[in-house]
Amino acid sequence: MANQELVGKKPLQVLEKIRENLEKLNDKMEVMIELQKHNRKDIPQLPTDTPLDVMTLLSMPDHLRKTAMAVCRLGRATADEIAQQTHRARAVESAYLNQLVIMGYTKKQRKGRKAYFYVERESQE
Amino acid sequence: MGKILAVHSYKGGTGKTLLALNLSASFAKQGKKVCLFDLDFRAPSLATLLKVGKAEHWLNDYLNGACEIDKVLIDLSERINNKGHLYVGLANPATEAIRDMSAKDRKWEMRALGRLLALRNSLLNDKTFDYIIFDTSPGLQYSSINAIVAADVVVVATTFDRSDVDGTQRMLRELYELFEKKTEVVLNKVLDASRTGKEELQARVKDIYQAPLLSVIPCFCDVLKAEGGIIFAAEKPDHPFTRILDEMTNKINQM
Repeated sequence: MANQELVGKKPLQVLEKIRENLEKLNDKMEVMIELQKHNRKDIPQLPTDTPLDVMTLLSMPDHLRKTAMAVCRLGRATADEIAQQTHRARAVESAYLNQLVIMGYTKKQRKGRKAYFYVERESQE
Repeated sequence: MGKILAVHSYKGGTGKTLLALNLSASFAKQGKKVCLFDLDFRAPSLATLLKVGKAEHWLNDYLNGACEIDKVLIDLSERINNKGHLYVGLANPATEAIRDMSAKDRKWEMRALGRLLALRNSLLNDKTFDYIIFDTSPGLQYSSINAIVAADVVVVATTFDRSDVDGTQRMLRELYELFEKKTEVVLNKVLDASRTGKEELQARVKDIYQAPLLSVIPCFCDVLKAEGGIIFAAEKPDHPFTRILDEMTNKINQM
């Protein structure tokens, strides 16, 4: 009964909440797919403040380095913006970006419908 | 939109600094707005070569987050007899500063990379510079790799010294290629350049490095005798070294 009242009063807000939850689920699924694809063991989970410096970039596999360098150049970007730089598909970049988040090299922040990826530099000073 | 060039080499003594300085002067002579940065924090030399005494702010300060980049820039345009603009950002040559820069950790280097990358916006976009040129430390130093990552084109200064050839080959394969950088080789200090022939040298470099050759610079006694005290591109317009530099900058303009 209470739920029905809520739906009747604020349908837009409820839909918005559902969409947000779906997006969060989508993010989690992308991460799980990545982990499964690489058999979990291949993706080392590092402490959250691992610096993405040039030596780390050099030691990365080529596919991740390309994505990580694009994040470094743009500072803060969506998977779409990274895909424009690397000329690869958005879904591919999204998977690699999530992999970089798991590895602790980049951070992810949701703002409305968009997910932003960035390298945390200044807060570490 | 301007370009960022990094002048790099495997070994020291290949003529990076003179090349970077003279390329900067050659661009400025063409009317370009250029900024030359000394990123060789272990052995700073531009301050001495340019006879700049004490700078108010060094490039070290910008990378340390202690000041904005415009505080670091020193205007040397009056040394170029043309409408161009030449600015420099110098590395602090004081022993204490060299020690300090040698002891930086990985997080600092990561932030330094961020600040070098930010120069594209602050100088090329906002202040309409045509070229930023990084003079780097030889080999795989943090500051040099940061400069390479931030650059659009890497100008690799090399000689026919055997250990230099081996090291440069490795860097082309294991450094520039991994960062997908456009590289241009400059074969410097070539003895008997006129006798060997340009085509033969070009073929030899192509065979060894499998990379584009920007230029072959003969070993000029005048350049060595000047001991770094003359900016040939600005002060000796008719010298063959200057003509080679102008050819190089024309090629880079067309990239």
